[in-house]
Amino acid sequence: MTSIGTGYDLSNSVFSPDGRNFQVEYAVKAVENGGTAVGIRCKDGVVLAVEKIITSKLLKPGANKRIATVDRHVGIVSAGLVPDGRHFVSRARDEASSWRGVYKAPIPTNALANRLGGYVQAYTLYSSVRPFGVTAIVGGWDSEAELAVDGQVGQGPNSGAGGKVEGAEAGGPGLYMIEPSGLYWGYYGAATGKGRQAAKAELEKLDLSSGNLSLADGVKEAARIIYVAHEDSKDKEFELEMSWISSLDGPTKGRHEEVPKELREEAEKAAKRALEGDDDEEEEKGQAMEE
Amino acid sequence: MNHFPEAWGRPRDDVYGAYNPSYLQTTGPKAHTSSPAVTGTSVIGVKFNGGVALATDNLASYGSLARFSDVKRLRVFGDKAVVGFGGDVSDMQYIDRLLASIDIRENYSNHGNMLNAKNLHTYLAKVFYKRRSEFNPLWNHVLVAGYDGEGKPFLSSADLLGTTFSAPHLATGFGAHLAVPILRRLFPDEKPIEEVTQEHAVDALKQCLKVLFYRDARSLDKYSIAVITKDGIDLKENEQIEGQSWAFAERIKGYGAQTN
Amino acid sequence: MASLLDHTARGETVGYSFSQSAAAPVKQHGFYPYTDNGGSTLGITGSDFAILAGDTRSTSGYNINSRMVPKVFKIGGDDETGEGAHIILSVVGFAADGNALKERLDSVVKMYKYQHGKPMSVSACAQRLSTILYQKRFFPYYVTAILAGLDEEGKGALYSYDPVGSYEREQCRAAGAAASLIMPFLDNQVNFKNQYIPGSGEGHALEAKKAEPLPQDHVKQLVRDAFTSAVERHIEVGDNLQMMIATKDGIQEVYHPLKKD
Repeated sequence: MTSIGTGYDLSNSVFSPDGRNFQVEYAVKAVENGGTAVGIRCKDGVVLAVEKIITSKLLKPGANKRIATVDRHVGIVSAGLVPDGRHFVSRARDEASSWRGVYKAPIPTNALANRLGGYVQAYTLYSSVRPFGVTAIVGGWDSEAELAVDGQVGQGPNSGAGGKVEGAEAGGPGLYMIEPSGLYWGYYGAATGKGRQAAKAELEKLDLSSGNLSLADGVKEAARIIYVAHEDSKDKEFELEMSWISSLDGPTKGRHEEVPKELREEAEKAAKRALEGDDDEEEEKGQAMEE
Repeated sequence: MNHFPEAWGRPRDDVYGAYNPSYLQTTGPKAHTSSPAVTGTSVIGVKFNGGVALATDNLASYGSLARFSDVKRLRVFGDKAVVGFGGDVSDMQYIDRLLASIDIRENYSNHGNMLNAKNLHTYLAKVFYKRRSEFNPLWNHVLVAGYDGEGKPFLSSADLLGTTFSAPHLATGFGAHLAVPILRRLFPDEKPIEEVTQEHAVDALKQCLKVLFYRDARSLDKYSIAVITKDGIDLKENEQIEGQSWAFAERIKGYGAQTN
Repeated sequence: MASLLDHTARGETVGYSFSQSAAAPVKQHGFYPYTDNGGSTLGITGSDFAILAGDTRSTSGYNINSRMVPKVFKIGGDDETGEGAHIILSVVGFAADGNALKERLDSVVKMYKYQHGKPMSVSACAQRLSTILYQKRFFPYYVTAILAGLDEEGKGALYSYDPVGSYEREQCRAAGAAASLIMPFLDNQVNFKNQYIPGSGEGHALEAKKAEPLPQDHVKQLVRDAFTSAVERHIEVGDNLQMMIATKDGIQEVYHPLKKD
């Protein structure tokens, strides 16, 4: 059943007779036009990447970042309406900081995703608001080491249990994707925006669930996937923006940072080579057929 | 004997006297902290050629009780500055978290944390001054060490009243009486800072810590020391005062083992 | 321990061992929000200049906090160095209040220039400073301020204040720890108090020497003499002498060493 002319799409929070909220579905349409964003959950970190379509030659290259830092250990990238994404990030920062205020510790990635899911969902409930025009990918690294409480002054008892559980495993990478409906799932690999279909297909080939992909390889894959996903809108120029969060003994020491320029350019070069390789193969195939 | 549950676990009036309910007053002016509770003693700092060194011991006292002996009073801000805290430990923790939240906010932008030690000191002094003006002071005296905007070594003090001052060597609390004279003798005004090496500075701090341990009853021989250079911050938090000499104690009645 | 055995004390009277009735005195604040950071300042005007000076020592009780904490500031400059300012302010007393006051006045003078497109006159600034001080009449800035610059006729202008904003324009004023040592010297050397024209008469007929503006070099020497003398007799004054001289060419700042004992 279509929404056109029925009136069920004119107000937010109104169900159509077959149980759909058309305003949310329109928000999803806004997302589908946005630059492709992907996130990959690697064994020793998380990568976020986004295809930033250059809308004007007057924009300064490298400026106007689309990936945001939320707390030391969390980053967010989104596809869809950029201002909505900014507000979403602002809320995420408030949540992360209020968590610290209460628990004197960094917010776990899953808890942040949960809070943000709840927040986005609330914008589907009232006629006075419209849903978020973004799908956001939240990547984080929860410390695998026992973390000091914020402001902690000492080490605690060094004899006896001291309230510590021996050998308990904790922390690790976290990757969540939150949609305009407020729906969120945890992912091994997430993609949204215009090129999501191609990107998802590529992500699925990576066998992420086995947990073998390293962060360094993840960076290269993320770059390649953005390039692959861009193939369908080749006429437009774009910039690749990438960030990562490694384990505590990795390159970013558990912090969310921009991928260093050299590394990104290397990954881009490899991505272009991989694409040309594909073209060559196709050309070869074509030639073979012609012959 | 009082059998009412309301009184269970409470000190008996007939033994201990009536509880002073003025602490529970709901009327009258709003009272804030009017004295510190758990406190750290001196912080000492010295500038040297190309950097700054800062030291504190690891003790937090509850009045005259040596309450916590593993308290790290040198707090690192970003990768640029160190704050050494004297005074109330809970206020120190509050400020530490405040600074952590600023560091996180600074990292929202992609050039990272741009605040240097001088900026941090200005900010802290304003926090202290605001709180003293609200009659709700943060009961600390801090030294801030790092670099200023021109990349020169920076060492400055701020206290609970918002008073600020800067000098080539500084000390708070007991250190102002005991360490500053030592530092002024070792590093007189005529001696340019370029002639003070990192080793000189660190040795001087260790010497001061030892004197403070001898003479400040609220001090400890375990200490933290931070050396800030262009290469970064070298923070050691579990150091021990070396080369103590208690030989004199043998000749003093009441010290050591002899009983008469 | 007698009270432990003394069962008749509160006996079997039913009630809380925790008595609510005891009338307690209202608790007073135990926090005193001021301190005295010592030091001294002084200002003298001439026909076409004004000088503000202060020592650079900062003290807490018998301790010297630092030998280099300036008390004289440029107000309303274009950048953090104070470049482009034409008004100077000295503050002595509680240094934290002094700093807060300086920063407020500085931003007020800057805003005046942004909003009116012309620099604030010294007389206007003087009135504004009084207002700022009086606004905190019941929680004062514990400082003695002196404001100086050139008036609309290009003559040296100097205004002195009490902590709550009472002010007047004067030829000269000493403030701070050694004010009582320096001020009489100034009375005599600047306003020629107790100086008479020799041979002008006997007894009451003796004619007082009339005060007139002094040349700049002479005033600078007076300032230095005032401080070298104050340093001898006051422990809170010393280390360095900071001088700012406001002329039509702007503000010049100089330092001289003082005794460090």
